[in-house]
Formats: sequence, C-alpha cells, structure tokens
Amino acid sequence: MVDDDVTSSDLVRGQIELHDVLVHYHDSVALNSVTHRVDFGEWLGLIGANGAGKSTLLRAIARLVGYQGSIRIHGCETRSMHRREFARLVAYVPQNPQFPAQMRAIDYVALGRTPYQGYFGAESEHDRERCAALLARLGMSHLILRPLSTMSGGELQRLVLSRALAQEAPILLLDEPTSAMDLGRRVEALELVDELRVERQLTVVSTLHDLTLAAQFVDRVLLLAKGSVVADGVPDVVLIEESLNQHFDVKVEILRSTDNGIVVVPRRSRKKVHHD
Amino acid sequence: MLVAIAFLVVVILISTAIGPADLSLSTVVEVLLSHLPLLHLHSSVSALDQAIVWQIRLPRVVLAVLVGSMLALGGASYQGVFRNPLADPYLLGVAAGAGLGATIAIVTPSGFSEFLPLAAFLGGVVAVALTYLTGAKASGHSSGPSIILAGVAVAAIFTAIQTNIQQQHAADLQPVYSWILGSLSVATWSDVTLILPYVVLSAAILLAHRRLLDVLRLGEEEAMTLGVNPNRVRLVVVAAATMGTAAAVSVSGLIGFVGIIVPHLVRLTANASYRVVLPVSLVSGASFLVLADLCARMVDAPGEVPLGVVTAFIGGPFFIFVLRSRRSHQGVL
Amino acid sequence: MRFIRTGLSVMVLLTGGLVWSGASASGAATTDVSHFPVKVKTSMGTVTITSRPHAIVSLSATATEMLYAIGAGGQVKAVDKYSNYPTNAPITSLNGFSVSAEAIAKYKPDLVIVSYEPASFGAQMAKLKIPVIYDPAAPTLAVAYQQYLGLGEATGHVQQAVNEVQKLKSTIAGIVRSTPRVAPGTTYYWELDPTYYSVTSSTFMGQLMSLLGLKSIADAVGVNSNGGYPQLNSEFILKANPSYIFLADSKCCHASASTVASRPGWSVMSAVATRRILKLDDDIASRWGPRITILLRQVADFLKSQKG
Repeated sequence: MVDDDVTSSDLVRGQIELHDVLVHYHDSVALNSVTHRVDFGEWLGLIGANGAGKSTLLRAIARLVGYQGSIRIHGCETRSMHRREFARLVAYVPQNPQFPAQMRAIDYVALGRTPYQGYFGAESEHDRERCAALLARLGMSHLILRPLSTMSGGELQRLVLSRALAQEAPILLLDEPTSAMDLGRRVEALELVDELRVERQLTVVSTLHDLTLAAQFVDRVLLLAKGSVVADGVPDVVLIEESLNQHFDVKVEILRSTDNGIVVVPRRSRKKVHHD
Repeated sequence: MLVAIAFLVVVILISTAIGPADLSLSTVVEVLLSHLPLLHLHSSVSALDQAIVWQIRLPRVVLAVLVGSMLALGGASYQGVFRNPLADPYLLGVAAGAGLGATIAIVTPSGFSEFLPLAAFLGGVVAVALTYLTGAKASGHSSGPSIILAGVAVAAIFTAIQTNIQQQHAADLQPVYSWILGSLSVATWSDVTLILPYVVLSAAILLAHRRLLDVLRLGEEEAMTLGVNPNRVRLVVVAAATMGTAAAVSVSGLIGFVGIIVPHLVRLTANASYRVVLPVSLVSGASFLVLADLCARMVDAPGEVPLGVVTAFIGGPFFIFVLRSRRSHQGVL
Repeated sequence: MRFIRTGLSVMVLLTGGLVWSGASASGAATTDVSHFPVKVKTSMGTVTITSRPHAIVSLSATATEMLYAIGAGGQVKAVDKYSNYPTNAPITSLNGFSVSAEAIAKYKPDLVIVSYEPASFGAQMAKLKIPVIYDPAAPTLAVAYQQYLGLGEATGHVQQAVNEVQKLKSTIAGIVRSTPRVAPGTTYYWELDPTYYSVTSSTFMGQLMSLLGLKSIADAVGVNSNGGYPQLNSEFILKANPSYIFLADSKCCHASASTVASRPGWSVMSAVATRRILKLDDDIASRWGPRITILLRQVADFLKSQKG
C-alpha cells in the first residue's frame, strides 16, 4: 500500500520529456526523432492521419513498444523504472479494451490497484472502498455488482476510465477514447476526462480523431505526419487549413462557432451529383 | 466459499462413514477418535475394522481430496492462462507424458512399478516443458494458439510412443488401461505423503496468482501497463499447475473431466473472477472427487468401477444440466 | 506373463466379449496318414485343412503348450513371443495381440493358431489361403479339452490328443481325490495384479479351485462381473478375510507374502498372519493348457501342508 500523501505529493507530478524518440517496425520507421515536452496538468492531443504515428507515440510513452532515444518522466528514464513503479506513474487506456464478460464491475475496477499490491497480494478492504468511491464518482454506484456483459458501451467506457483512475497515476494516456461512441457520448466522455483532470491534477495525453472536439478540450496539439511532428502548439495555431489539407490529404474548411470555437469541416472533392 | 467448504466437510464425513465393508457409524467414529493425538482412547474395535477405516478408507478419501482439488485448481489456472474455457489440466501434455512414464514403469520387468509415480510425474513434467519450449519459441509469447498446438503435437507424439510400447507388451495391457482410466483403489498414506508437498506448494502458488489471472484477462498490453509481466505470470502458473497435476495423476492415474467441469460449475454458480474461481474450484474439486470415488466404491460393491468412468458419467449430465438451466439468463463466459 | 487374464481382458476391451463355439473333433479317430483333408470346426467357422500341416505358426502361448503336449511340436515353425514354454519352441518376435498378416505370411505357414483375433484378420488370412484356428481363452475345462481334440484333428495327432485329455482328466481326478476336503466356506483371494483384479468362481481358474472346495471372495461382486475378472475394493478384501491368498502376480509385479504383509492394513488378515499365502507362476496360472495339473497340485499340496 502506498500512502495517499505520496501519490499526491509534487514529487511524482507528471512531466513527460521526449527526446529523439525513434520507433521502427522491421524496416519501416513509425516514429522519427520526436522531441517534445508535456507539462504538468496539461492535456496534450495527438492528431494526424492514420499511420502518422499517434498511437505509436502513445504506446512508446506507455512502454508498450521498444524505442530509441529517451523518454523521461519527472526526470527519470522510464525504461529503467521497475514495472510497478512505472504503473503507478502512468495509466493507459487502449483503444479497444477487453472486458471479461462475467466479471463484476467492482472486481474489474479493482484490477487497477494491481501496481500497489505485492506479487502474491490481494486487494484490501481499503482498495475496494476506493474503487467503490471511484465508481460512485463516475455515477455508477448502482452497477457495482453487475457483470460487464450486461453493460452498455457508455458504461463500459466509464468503467475502463475508472479502472485507469484506480491506478492513481498522475499521467493518463488515452488511445482514441471516443472512437466507438455517438456524438453525445463523445462529449460526455471528454468532459468527464477534463473534470477528472482538473480534480486530480492529471496530465493527459490522448490521440483524437475528431479535430473539432480536440480543439475544445486539449491544451496543446501535436500534429504528426509520417512519424514526425509537423506542427505543435495550441489548437488555434495548429488547426489551420493549409497544414490539415496537406497532412490529412483532404480538403478541409475551418469555421468558427458562435463562441469562437474551431470547427473543422472536411469537404468532398467532387461535386455532388443530383438525380432529378 | 463457506458453502463450498461446508459441503466438502459433509462429503468427507459421508464418504468416510460408508464403504463396501459395511462398518457401523459408531465403529468408524471410534476408530477416528482413537487416532486423535490427545485422546488416549482404548477402542474396542477389532484390529481388522481399525485397519479398514484407518489404513484403507481414510487414505483413500484424503487422496481424493488432494487429487480432486489439484485437478480442479489446475484446470481453472490453465483456463486463466490460456484464456480458453476448454483448457484442461491435461492441455499441454501432462496426461500423455504421465501416461508414457507410467506405461514404461509398468512394462519394465525389473519391479520398476514401485517407481510408477515418479515415472509418471517426470513424464508429465517433461511433456509440458517440451510443449512450452517449442510453443513459446514459435510465437515469441506464451499464450494463444501456437502453444496449444504444440501441446497437441507433443501429446500426439507421447501417446504414439505410449501406444506402441503398450502394444509390444500386450500382457501388461490391463494395468496400463487401469492406470489410464484412473483409480484410487490402492490409495495408502504413503501416497498421500508422497504428493502432499507438491500439491500444497502448487496450490499455494496458484492461489497467490488468482488476482493476476484476472489481470491477464484484460489482455497483454493492459496487463503490462498495470505493472504485470504476463509471460512471467503464465510461466509460473503453468509450471505450478503442471507440477501439481503431474503429482496428482502420478498416484491416481488419468482422471478426466474434473479439471474442466468443476471450474465451469463454479463460474456458472458463483462468480467469474479468478479471485473467486480458484479457491472455490479447489474446494469443490475435492468434494466432486470424493463423491465420485464414493460412487466408484459403492456402485458395484464390492467391485470397483474405474474412477475416470464415474467422473465422466456423473459429471457430464450434471454439467449439461447446469449449462442449460443457466444459459437462459446469462451468457456463458 | 498373465495370459488368460490379459488375453481375456484384451478381448473384453477390444471386442466387447467373446463367444466360443468350440473346435470339435468331427469324426472318429482315424489314422494319421489317411486323415486329410479334414474339416475342423472352430469359432470362426469350419476350417478345412487339406494336408498334414508342417509349418504351424502359433500365436497363442496355451496352444503352443498343447501342440507340444500332443506330439505336434515337430510341425511347429514359429511361435509368438509369449510362447515361452516349452523352452525349445521356436520363439519369434511375433506378438499375439498385435498380429500382422504380412509378418505371419513371412513364415509361409500352412496353419495359424490364435487366441486373440483382431477384426478382418481371418479374412486376410483367407485371401492368403492360410487356415486359421481361433482358440480363445477356455471358459471351462470341457472347452479346453475340445481345443485339444480340435488341434489333434488339425495336426493329425487325434489319438495323442484323446490320450492327453484322458491323462489330464485322470490326473485332475487323482489330485482332487487325494486332497482332504477343506472346511465348508473356505475362501481364497486370487490376485491378478496389485490393483486387486481377481477371479470369480465362474472363471477357468475359479472352477479349478472349486474342484478343491475353495470359494472365491470375488463371487460377492457377482460371478460374471467384468467377465469374471472384477476389480475388488481393498477394504472389502480385508473385511472378507479370505482363508487363503493366491498370488498370480508374483512374476509380473513381484508380489510375495512379504509384500502383501507390508501393505497398509493387510497384516490384520488371518491369511497374512498365518502365512496362508501361495505364490503361483503367473504364466501357468493364466493358461488353460497342459500345465494346469501343476497348478492344481501346487494348490492341493499347499492346502495339505496347512492342515498337517
């Protein structure tokens, strides 16, 4: 068991430094010399076309792919950290998490406590209470004993988030957190992440497909193309027509909403044919 | 869990009380009491009845507890490691390896049959080690189809060798068949003490991993980001399950079905988390085999019915019944 | 080698039982020369043997012993690896329980005798025009005698076969006559292997023991349980407390009075305490051939020694 004071102390506040990170699969380069710094409490959005290297970058930070170069969290080289030590710093939510059908919600969320348990340990009553509190915070108290197979997509999304939050890691990595959701659920999910980020002072790095939503939530955007960073900055600076046209290989129009938010609208290249 | 333990206690008591020798309940109780360390009771029970209860019936019940719990726990663990509901403790070739070892011991003319448990144990361990090495090498990681395929191949090879040896020594066909069908009919206290350390150690390791088996269910990557090394967990669990299973079958023969049916019944009736499935399977496996062995003793008394036949015969229909009645309101697995 | 039992269990396991229709002498004794061709009735139907066989292949240890007993030993060309008696029989690596038509044909036999017949073996041999006599484990003495006579017919030793049967009958009668009757209810436990497979009084060996007034404890299971060869429960064996223990697993499994006595709990049995344990020769105790008289005499002498 790790004391609350330690996890919430400033010592382990997340700050990620990437230096010359290079990933290659066999002979193709997936990530080419990426250097970047993520500040405390920041929400960094990774955007780019399919295959641009967004997920690879996220997975390199999560230590799920081998890389050359250096990734440091709060000054420490991540690859030299112990697994469990690392798991207390970084929580990762994959794009398509697996949900063991018959497992109950509370048992599932409690798996997030793994980094705090000995190799042979079992979660304590205290762990269970925390997980129950988390589920309550995410509005799922009534689902605690329900098996996962009976839950909706939105409930599962919140559940996997709870599981990651149970890790009590200051850094949260999200791979396409909204990919399988309808419009309403997308906003809801991102708003929840944002609330929790503020509430728990988390540093968040996520890949995002929906640029309009990205613009509304993230503090900073990294635009990747063919494994390299091609633009970096606040949404207003990065989300410009010229660069998106080039790197997404599609004609886009940037509009402004009534509250001056960015709206990215992709356009079809050929005229619509009218059948009369 | 409490229900499962209570049931086991009842089953053990019944099974100790009943036997083909038709002893009265008071005789059995008196014999048991006379063996309590603190009580210096001079029982009036004849030496013969004493021997029947203490040397023959009781070791058999205790051995059934050990073997049944080990097979069920091993099965549940294998299912967790391979995330495959059809995995059984024999998946990676323990049975075929132990069968080969036992057959060699039986046909070796020099009274080698005293080493049957050792030979069966070694055969089982060697077979699984081969499977693991070839399978893990082929895929680079230690779950999924390639290791199961390697298990099928290793089992086929070992079974082929075993069958060939058996054919060459047709005069020993009966003991080989008896062993393959599984039996506790010659159980003694020395069998119990022989396998007890392996079973206890194996069960302790497996139970300690019950949580990590749940972590594995989240998939390779999430397990890793939770600070778990999936390959190491799998290796340790497979090694422990193999050791325990090989020890169990070395004295009992190849008792089938326990390793599949008991964990599934537990999953269907209790909870699907391995944190629950493992300990409850351990206890329920013991109950199941004690009951099955009671049937093996009593159905054709004073003759014996092969235990493997009993487990399949009562286990099969019961399993189908539970499967059908549960299916209606929740999915299976 | 435990032949009757394993022979039987192989057949029970592999063919699900057996029916023996018996080889019977089809006519009065004739002279050996003008005897052929002869029709011999066997359980596979009537086998016609056109001329006196001189290259017999015996895949049955019992048949081998019978052939030598009736003077047909000189006509035997090859016997299987379990035919270890008489010791001058031409033993080969052929396996009576895993027969290959081709391996047998290699010896160019003009008669093949088996005690176990796998499916389609007969048809294969028919194609090769090799007559096959199928003499499975005899369930009774009468059947064993018929097998002698059948083999006598087939090999041209009819009179010797008749004489041998007469000799067996009178020897057995003599042993029975000279043995004092045991007390009624005298029982025995016949051990076939260390997992307590046994014989009931309905089996061949059980019937021999019945001649001496002994009753098998295995009868309690039902005399026909598992073909007369049930596996007994060990607490039952203790409780039944047999008067005698006969070990037919002394060669295969090194059973002896001391190994039996050292089994947990067994020392309380009166047969163990009074050493009424007799080691039998596994081979003799599992064949229905000429050496059954040796077995019977051994048991009879043991009974006498225990009385005296």
